[in-house]
Amino acid sequence: MADEPTSAPEASGPLLVLEWSGYEATEYPQFFQPFADAYEGRMDEVIEYSFFAEDAEAYTKLQSGFEADVLHPCNSWWSLYVDSGLVQPIDTARLSNWDGVHPDLAAMGQFSGEQYFVPWEWGYDSIIVRNDLVTEMPTAWADLWNDAYAGHVSIWDNAETAFVMTALAQGLDPWNTTAEEQEQIKQALIELKANVLTYWADYTESYELPTTGDVWLLANAWQDAYAYIESEGYDVSYLQPEEGRLGWVCGYAISSTSNNLDLAYELLDAAIAPESMAALGNEYWYGFSNMDALPMVDEYVVDFMNLDEVDTLTDRTVFYRPLSEEQRSMMSSIWDEVKAAP
Amino acid sequence: MLRRVPWGGLYFLVLTAFLYAPILLLIVFSFNDSILLTFPLRGFTLRWYQALFEADALLGSVVNSLMVGVASSLVATVLGTMAAIGVVRFRFPGRDAFLALAGVPLVIPAIVLGVALLILFRQLVDVQLSLWTIGLGHVVINIPIAMLIVASRLIGFEDNLEEAAMDLGAGFWETQWRVTLPMSLPALLAAFLTCFTTSFDEYAMSVFLAGTDPTLPIYLYSQLRFPRRLPHVVTLTAVLMTLSIGVLFVAEWLRRSGERTSTAPEVTA
Amino acid sequence: MAPPSLWLVLLLVMPVVTMVLFTFRAGSFGQAAQQFTLNNYAAFLQNQPFQSLLARSAGVAAIVALLSVVLAYPVAYYLSFSAGSRRFTLLTLIIIPAWTSYLLRVLAWKIILGSGGVLNTVLASLGLAADLGSLFLYNRTAVIITLVYTWIPFVALPIYAALERIEPSLFEAARDLGARPWNAFLRVTLPLSLPGVIAGFLFVFIPTVGEYVTPALVGGPRGIMYGNLVQDQFLNALNWPMGSVMSLAMLLGVLLPILLFSRFVRLTELAGL
Repeated sequence: MADEPTSAPEASGPLLVLEWSGYEATEYPQFFQPFADAYEGRMDEVIEYSFFAEDAEAYTKLQSGFEADVLHPCNSWWSLYVDSGLVQPIDTARLSNWDGVHPDLAAMGQFSGEQYFVPWEWGYDSIIVRNDLVTEMPTAWADLWNDAYAGHVSIWDNAETAFVMTALAQGLDPWNTTAEEQEQIKQALIELKANVLTYWADYTESYELPTTGDVWLLANAWQDAYAYIESEGYDVSYLQPEEGRLGWVCGYAISSTSNNLDLAYELLDAAIAPESMAALGNEYWYGFSNMDALPMVDEYVVDFMNLDEVDTLTDRTVFYRPLSEEQRSMMSSIWDEVKAAP
Repeated sequence: MLRRVPWGGLYFLVLTAFLYAPILLLIVFSFNDSILLTFPLRGFTLRWYQALFEADALLGSVVNSLMVGVASSLVATVLGTMAAIGVVRFRFPGRDAFLALAGVPLVIPAIVLGVALLILFRQLVDVQLSLWTIGLGHVVINIPIAMLIVASRLIGFEDNLEEAAMDLGAGFWETQWRVTLPMSLPALLAAFLTCFTTSFDEYAMSVFLAGTDPTLPIYLYSQLRFPRRLPHVVTLTAVLMTLSIGVLFVAEWLRRSGERTSTAPEVTA
Repeated sequence: MAPPSLWLVLLLVMPVVTMVLFTFRAGSFGQAAQQFTLNNYAAFLQNQPFQSLLARSAGVAAIVALLSVVLAYPVAYYLSFSAGSRRFTLLTLIIIPAWTSYLLRVLAWKIILGSGGVLNTVLASLGLAADLGSLFLYNRTAVIITLVYTWIPFVALPIYAALERIEPSLFEAARDLGARPWNAFLRVTLPLSLPGVIAGFLFVFIPTVGEYVTPALVGGPRGIMYGNLVQDQFLNALNWPMGSVMSLAMLLGVLLPILLFSRFVRLTELAGL
């Protein structure tokens, strides 16, 4: 970790981070340990946060004139950020911990040969199954449509996820569909309505629904939801579907309008420092990008996330891919029509 | 026999119970040793309350919401009252259009208002986002509400009192200030309360107008991404509710004792 | 009157104008946003499922508004006529629950209405069918119950405000003329409180058409309302033009029936304007 001189904060003011709630360095210094150490006692002077709850919200704010220094979007939005000129390329030479970042993950953050995003956290998107309530165990995404589960399925109210998951279930390539295939996906989702008890809207629901006994298959759950429910004593499993689990990754970027570069690089470097990454894994059960942190992570998390097999991660997992505006629009239209169907 | 039953009071009681049922449930869960809001209960714990006192950011957002709520409700009530007086008292050209215009924020979805105002603030006027911009947005949403409530009170108001005052030499606005408004106090308070309530829980529009200081709903909704934080929010709710009711009872007790002293019966020799 | 008018004009006109301008844009940001098009209108007019959802949502909103008014009226009446000096305290008492996060209250209702929840447990212990699981939750009924619950305090306020202006002397006069209490109510109180009732009804009806939080949480796949789709356009689809067209449709769809109604019923006269 490079020694930063403990100089006065940037003349251009504190670093403004547009961030998900739950990662703010002022309340969770452990996720940015070196930064917190360097500015201990002065954190409020050097860093400020504005929160958002959805990627779409953050993007909309930025496009409407909101200005921040550091951004934290998830990868299906990355190409949109680059194309809209919202982010500047990152000089990885300024990040002392960069070499530890797994090359497969780093590659996801590259566009037109430039590194725009520093991947930070990643995870799976799969199905939580109540083993004790289902009469037959599902083995694939396609099983969500099985009549045996009528009225006991829940999926996320999210256009992109619904589309991608259904495409996989139908054996199609979610990111290269023809108009006919899109219609097919739409019809499949309308059929699914008969099986769905409710579309879960916020993340907390994904923790609760499997415990109520009404939902036997909860789709699009992240691994930490599964881990928690299991620790509460419920008999559940986290599916490894035939088509593969879905995967997501989120990361940091520097806004194209930012002048606060020194602080920004300090923060990013601190974020991918091994001790920060280990804290992330241990506390949130999330995957992380710097594999140097592996020795500091609890065995339970390593096993469960297959963290020691990151080399095969992108083979076994279908990661969400960046979407263009048209693709996103198309998926949203389909989803809205599915929802509007009586 | 039937007449003896205080039907009004009974109905009020049942309705209040109905309104508070979810709140009581939340209070129960604030002591539950689990982050899930499901039965069966897992055991008694005070750790959420302990955590609450250390949750600076959460408490800070409550203070923000109070400030924004009180300030924007005051402004909206004043503006809404003036609009109500104008609309009910005068027949001016364009009155119907004015009425429709003032009612517009009610019809437009909060999200549309949020995006439109964000563009207004950032692209047209270049103002930084802050609690002030949120407050302005709340004023916009609340003006029609205040106007409607006060107007429904002013309609058919006892004109003769105003006429008497004006015959005695008081100007129009002076009359309003000294005669009409004091007599409309319940409506003004009702308007203020409604505006405050709307503002205190407003999310859809506020999220677009927020800078680095969140209001409670903004902070809260962003927390709901993390199920582990749900108990903090539930506990905060329990505390806020208990405090509000406590304050209310204290105020009522003070009012009653004030009443007693001021209406003390004359001592007859 | 000038300064407040100016305020209102700036802050109220701007969002409407912005929204209407959006309806003609070819996209939400950048290049596309500068192009003029009528495609959004065409897209909406051809979209029959969206239109029927709008109609259904307006229906739900009307039911919710009606139920809220009917259930809130006795409360306002009690507060105004029987509560005496305690009235304002009691009024605040029923408002206080509304200071809780809406989201949390809906979550709490899910616990009450759910299959393992309080309501079903009580009903089951009374010997009624155990399969009531899906009856009260994740459907349109759940949406209506939850919305009515949220709106009652808000509706009580304008009705209370309107009842407050009624002179007690009017009742005495009615009694002197031989009217029985129920008749006095029907022919004196109710008409005079009508502005408050109408205000209350509109308060609930208008925003409820665009409601999206409750349907998302307790409506299930069939309880979706129009507001969910509008919100989707702005947030997830990044399609502000379409979202604006849908909002405009909602605006017209809500205002036109009110205008029509007022042609026949002369609302303004009823209201005493």
